[in-house]
Amino acid sequence: MKILAPLRSSEEVLPLIAEGAHEFYCGLTPPGWEKTFGQAWVHRRNPKSAGVADLEDLRRIVDLAQPRPVYATLNAPSYPAGAVPHLLEFGRLLLDEIGVAALIVAEWELLLALCEQGLGPRLHVSSLATCRNPGAAAFYRSLGVSRVILPRHMTLREIEETAIPGLEWEVFALNDGCVFEEGICATTHAFGPFCMDDRLAARSGRLDRRYEFWKWTLNNCGCQMSRGYTLGPCGLCALPRLARIGVASLKVVGREASLARKTASVRLAAVALKRAERGAGPDDIRASVVSMRGAPELCENAHLCYYPDVWTGEPGSC
Amino acid sequence: MEYGLRVTSPAEPPRDLRDACPAAWRSLLPDGSTVALYFGTEFCEDRLSDFQEAAAFCSLARDHDLEPTLLTPIVTPEGLRTVGRLLARLTASGWEPAVVFNDWGVLGLLRDSYPTLPRRAGRLMNRSLRDPRAFRDRKADGATHEASRYARLRGFLARLGVTALESDADLDGGYLGDGPDETGAGLLRAIHLPFTFAASGRGCPLKARLYAEDGGFSKALADGCPGPCRAGPIRVQRDDCPMPLWRGGNTLFYELPPEAAEPWLLRTDRVVLHEAATP
Repeated sequence: MKILAPLRSSEEVLPLIAEGAHEFYCGLTPPGWEKTFGQAWVHRRNPKSAGVADLEDLRRIVDLAQPRPVYATLNAPSYPAGAVPHLLEFGRLLLDEIGVAALIVAEWELLLALCEQGLGPRLHVSSLATCRNPGAAAFYRSLGVSRVILPRHMTLREIEETAIPGLEWEVFALNDGCVFEEGICATTHAFGPFCMDDRLAARSGRLDRRYEFWKWTLNNCGCQMSRGYTLGPCGLCALPRLARIGVASLKVVGREASLARKTASVRLAAVALKRAERGAGPDDIRASVVSMRGAPELCENAHLCYYPDVWTGEPGSC
Repeated sequence: MEYGLRVTSPAEPPRDLRDACPAAWRSLLPDGSTVALYFGTEFCEDRLSDFQEAAAFCSLARDHDLEPTLLTPIVTPEGLRTVGRLLARLTASGWEPAVVFNDWGVLGLLRDSYPTLPRRAGRLMNRSLRDPRAFRDRKADGATHEASRYARLRGFLARLGVTALESDADLDGGYLGDGPDETGAGLLRAIHLPFTFAASGRGCPLKARLYAEDGGFSKALADGCPGPCRAGPIRVQRDDCPMPLWRGGNTLFYELPPEAAEPWLLRTDRVVLHEAATP
């Protein structure tokens, strides 16, 4: 399995490689986009806080990362009229001239357009496309794409059934949860995260407190750090099982994060991966993670687990 | 204009479907005949009808000369099997409902195993923005309704045997396209009113209520749910949205401002009316 690290600047490449990153993803808004399409986002994340500055810096990123692949997001859930031909041309530029290894795409109109151009083998289907079962996976395989990124809210057993042969599989490993399923959240972070202001009715009492606590954990425990590490959603204890399933790539989330947060996250993932490769089980990996990051109480009750079913003791679960 | 009615129990539908709507909508909706009865769910596989309930809906539809139309959600592997079992029993019993799919896996199941059932692409196949906060500072006619959007997807779906597109009102418009041409080629269009979904997911707060302090939410994704949301939607208060919002189980809906629906009514062949904001 490889560790997929987020980027927003060429200055981040070498420090992240030093911590153990095997591959990278980032986003860049096409030059002139705003003139034609206004404030519409090309990516799921805010281009101002999460995007690479310009094509020249993306070129530097690709050069510095070699031979490690760099993937570029074009993963907004939808685009305004006229945008897809523009993005098709921009995607070709990224692949053919800049040297990006693959595009990460969510919107089906754009995905189909890129596949028609014979670019399927250089496409990753974004988690926003909500591929959640083997039938959906077979559909994407029939399009000829190379990788599918699974949504956050899946159990290990569901991942096992969905990850059919003939595709690469990527899963969430660290940071930044979602309250709703991001593929079927029709709101935009341009107005701020909609979910953070979602409240249960006043009479909900204890349930309301539990809901607020759950949202707090998904929001990296209120954007907290512990010993320099993000206190956010984490799937590292599930690495042994994910390896057996055949998952190829472990996504560290947070393009807009500081370099310090990114390097710490990749360091933590690399330690856990090394432990898993040497045969450690979930308990041993958790001990390693807690020894670095602290906050054992959040692990003991699986509050931060992307895949809490790693602890349910199903046959073959660890 | 033709109408479909989304029902949650196999009770007698109103004679005039507009009576199922809040008052502000009744004068907005044009005359038309009722042609379809919708049941099932687009948002939560635990709310899928079992065979008995689905057969009761099909029977009700037959009694009123309506097309039974089964709504299906995005599904897990188990949910895909559940949809397969339900369709197997329905078709074995002689029912031939139209099926609204929101998942490529369900479409594959329909094409492979139930090719005679009419296939309709559901609301979640349209991933355009519907953020209710956009109505704070945006005119109701902000949607461009530019039909070039999703032209490729519509052609693709038509080649896969899909007969109709369904959506609720999004902020851009255009997804439904121009409808069938004079030769009948093209996809029929349906718009769901008066509720638009804003966000949905698997971390359902109503389901979480069934668990002890440390359970529910992420820890209960694959657990079956008895559906406490069947009791009806819960009003949601938000200061940043100008219209009423509702929590229907795992999904937040809002009531579309009626004036925002008017351009959609000019660009649809069918209105699917919902009595409540139901997942």
